[in-house]
Amino acid sequence: MNAALLVSVFLIASAGLIYELVASSLASYLIGDSVFQFSTVIGTYLFAMGVGSWLSRYLNRGLVARFIGIELLVALVGGFSSMALMLAFAYTSGFRLALYVLVIMVGVLVGLEIPLLMRILRDRFAFKDVISNVLTFDYLGALVASLAFPIILVPKVGLVRSSLLFGIVNALVALWTSYLFAAHLGQRKLLRVASAATLLLLGAGMMGAHKITGLAEDNIYSDEVIFSRDTRYQHMVLTAWKDDLRLYLNSHLQFSSRDEYRYHEALVHPGLASLPMAKHVLVLGGGDGLAVREILKYPGVTSVTLVDLDPEMTRLFSTQPKLVELNGGSLTSPRVHVVNADAFVWLDQNHEMYDFIVVDFPDPNNYGVGKLYTTAFYRLMAHHLAENGLAVVQSTSPLFARMSFWSIAQTLGSAGFKTSPYHIYVPSFGEWGFVIAGRREYVPPATLPAGLRFVSVSEIPHFFSFSTDMQPVAVETNQLNNQVLVRYYEREFEAINR
Amino acid sequence: MTLSRREFLGVVGAAGLVGAPSLIGLPRKTDRAITGEFADDGMATGHALRSGSFTAKPSRVVRVPVVIVGGGIAGLSAAWELERRGMRDFVVLELLKTAGGNARAGRNSVSEYPWAAHYLPVPGPKSTLLRELLAELGVLHADGSWDERALCFSPQERHYRFGEWHGGLEPDYALTARERDEFRAFESLMDQHRASGQFTIPLEAGMRPGSPLDRVSFAQWLRDSGFRSETLKWYADYACRDDFGALSSETSAWAGVHYFASRQKEDPGPLTWPAGNGWIVQQLTKKFGANVRTNSPVARIEKDGNGWKVTTPDTTYRCDSVIYSAPRHIAPHVIHELAGQKTDFVYSPWLTANLTLDRKPKNVGVETAWDNVIYGSPALGYVVATHQSLATHEEKSVWTFYWALAHESPSSARTRLANDSWLTWRDRILGDLALAHPDIRDCVSRVDIMRHGHAMIRPTVGFLSEHERLRPPSLPGLHFAHSDASGISIFEEAQYQGVKAAREVLTRNR
Repeated sequence: MNAALLVSVFLIASAGLIYELVASSLASYLIGDSVFQFSTVIGTYLFAMGVGSWLSRYLNRGLVARFIGIELLVALVGGFSSMALMLAFAYTSGFRLALYVLVIMVGVLVGLEIPLLMRILRDRFAFKDVISNVLTFDYLGALVASLAFPIILVPKVGLVRSSLLFGIVNALVALWTSYLFAAHLGQRKLLRVASAATLLLLGAGMMGAHKITGLAEDNIYSDEVIFSRDTRYQHMVLTAWKDDLRLYLNSHLQFSSRDEYRYHEALVHPGLASLPMAKHVLVLGGGDGLAVREILKYPGVTSVTLVDLDPEMTRLFSTQPKLVELNGGSLTSPRVHVVNADAFVWLDQNHEMYDFIVVDFPDPNNYGVGKLYTTAFYRLMAHHLAENGLAVVQSTSPLFARMSFWSIAQTLGSAGFKTSPYHIYVPSFGEWGFVIAGRREYVPPATLPAGLRFVSVSEIPHFFSFSTDMQPVAVETNQLNNQVLVRYYEREFEAINR
Repeated sequence: MTLSRREFLGVVGAAGLVGAPSLIGLPRKTDRAITGEFADDGMATGHALRSGSFTAKPSRVVRVPVVIVGGGIAGLSAAWELERRGMRDFVVLELLKTAGGNARAGRNSVSEYPWAAHYLPVPGPKSTLLRELLAELGVLHADGSWDERALCFSPQERHYRFGEWHGGLEPDYALTARERDEFRAFESLMDQHRASGQFTIPLEAGMRPGSPLDRVSFAQWLRDSGFRSETLKWYADYACRDDFGALSSETSAWAGVHYFASRQKEDPGPLTWPAGNGWIVQQLTKKFGANVRTNSPVARIEKDGNGWKVTTPDTTYRCDSVIYSAPRHIAPHVIHELAGQKTDFVYSPWLTANLTLDRKPKNVGVETAWDNVIYGSPALGYVVATHQSLATHEEKSVWTFYWALAHESPSSARTRLANDSWLTWRDRILGDLALAHPDIRDCVSRVDIMRHGHAMIRPTVGFLSEHERLRPPSLPGLHFAHSDASGISIFEEAQYQGVKAAREVLTRNR
């Protein structure tokens, strides 16, 4: 029996630490600044444990029943804490409040456990052995929990299930205790029914965790959602937080208004500024009008044709005041002609020529979009490019998706272009890459439009050098009949998300 | 009314099935209107020809040096050869309202689609004729590369087994170690056969008549070679049904091996188009469409002095040469000189259907491929006609469903094809697809069905070595050209036979 009680100490100690780690991790995932989150959560938690220890003096009678009651409370509050935090984050604006309230509640309850257990054990050991045994197993539990958390629980079980799992551990300890102390316990039946009910709830939580968190994660955009719509082609969500406007398509971040100027200046100017005679520009994708905004900075450009699949997208970026402010009303400029069509099909059916072509498609994460990165597509594009013209292709990250990036560059090369790959840093995206393609060698521009915030004549040449970890790798050319790029991209992003 | 016990149980069972969902509060799904019809299959004319009730009283006579009877690939290839040799005085007579035979295609508001033959394996170096044709059509470039829009886009193939879709056609998922070994052994055996140079396309380039492989069925040969795996057996059966419309037990082992060993190992293809091989038909008829007479069933072919007379309902053609590129089994009913002769050629009956989908059904496993095969189904799965579309987003699609009716005798299958209603076939097709796509009925709006009573020649055991096949009836000025003369119904054989006949005509006329 004594050994059994020490096992209980071990288990509840692990559970207590797990709740603390889950809360800290969730807070750093969802609001960032992990040092701050870990420090404040751990501090608050330890302080709350102190409060619990202090409160334990007021519990005098029926210690075992009280202990079981507290275990069940810890099981419920701790077990469901991560789910509650996820939902609070997705559906309320009071995530921080919920975080600290939950941390204090769990802390107080966990703080009560050890003093109570020590008092229960008081009569079974000498005092020095009680202290020694309990604290030994307490710290041992903490060690095992802190090792299991990053190695097994987070990668294999997930945050929500981990806390539920340890809720179940707490509830089992409660149930077990009710049997260990059966002889000294009143209301045995009631306590066992309560334990069983708690187990059932937590078990149901485990089963439903996927559904509930799936739901919550769909709503996890760090900022307030100001617009959300399912169009024929995609799920669009626009969020805002102070001056930061963000667009997500199918949950993938498209831009943050804080740093999109870096992306769009780098996408347009290195190429277009090197073509002083450019008059006709084609933009494929880029329905947000932000690349067009940059293009309109060239007075020599007389027409811009934007081809984007989704009419909802171009409509939104032509009418929504905040977005129009962001793209400077580019889509309603008299120089701009908006077409809603599938880019490959549209190029195939038209014959116009362009001096500069901006290719700004979503990353190649499915076979449909993958077609837009093939030799067939680039050969078709070549038919629309003026003799001395240039095209620029957004080419995903040369750091996170190195094979994908170099496969795009190589595919452009196989389609007969001279290529100049380059990259920049966009805080909300990380390292991002582009490829300039043309029939002649690319020469960086000597002048730029006034008022640029990121790109400068002296900086452009530096964009074209790649550090060791972004150097070219051996890759295959992406073709319609192999779609290797989609496979590279899938593999590379899976590796990051693991 | 009296009911037998079986009928009674059937009625009770059906009532239970209908009633049970309503008992637990589920409304019975209302049947979405899924319309469609049988497509133009020439069945009525065929039957009239056979019974002798098809007679013609043409009102005009046309003189033309060469008449090609049958506008399938053999006939069109004969015409292609004549035309490129500068001989433009010919007509092609086609029974149906569109030429193309097994390669003909249809079109609706969503897409073009094939009615049967839908691809060409990328031709190897020995398929010179096909390479010449494809070069002429711009599919094969001067530098030896292929038009990338004609090469089948990735992902090419997948199969459904154990509740989800897996990449590739070879059922290599969750095999036992023994089965894996058998697949490997099978593959290396096929590599050896490939290396032997015997299994070529066209057949005549490599075939050695009287090969021992032609004396045993493919199923028997597999057993004799020590293969036991059920999965491998299924795969072999699938291949025979796919290419010959027959079970492996009904197919010559030589033909079965040919399916695997004639294909290039490293194949960038196949070549395909939304209309399937109908695209080639379109290109060919662009060249000499004016010479093709559709809706021109031939009632009679007979000797006419030194030449021949070909009779259709409105015209009698008097010519020096006839290229007979219709199926051989019709010949005794049409060619006066062969009347009463019997052929023992076996033809496989098929059914194909084009399904119009308003949206994609739910999918478990890998993404939709071009060719999608359901393991364990009696049918052959479906090919996505919109797969070669350049568009990145497509809700609507057309699927071509293939079903070689190989699990019964050809005559019983033909009876069912002729007698069972469109509704019955529609529900059989949707029922089969529901194995992998339970919500298929909510996605499909039309099912158009083509019945092919005699879809293709069947390379039965011994057929490839037979005399009759190798030596068609000898009638001066009448040249036989049809893939059934090869014993394997594929584009290259039809083309080869057609071109060969055209060359005979050209030599004779010189």
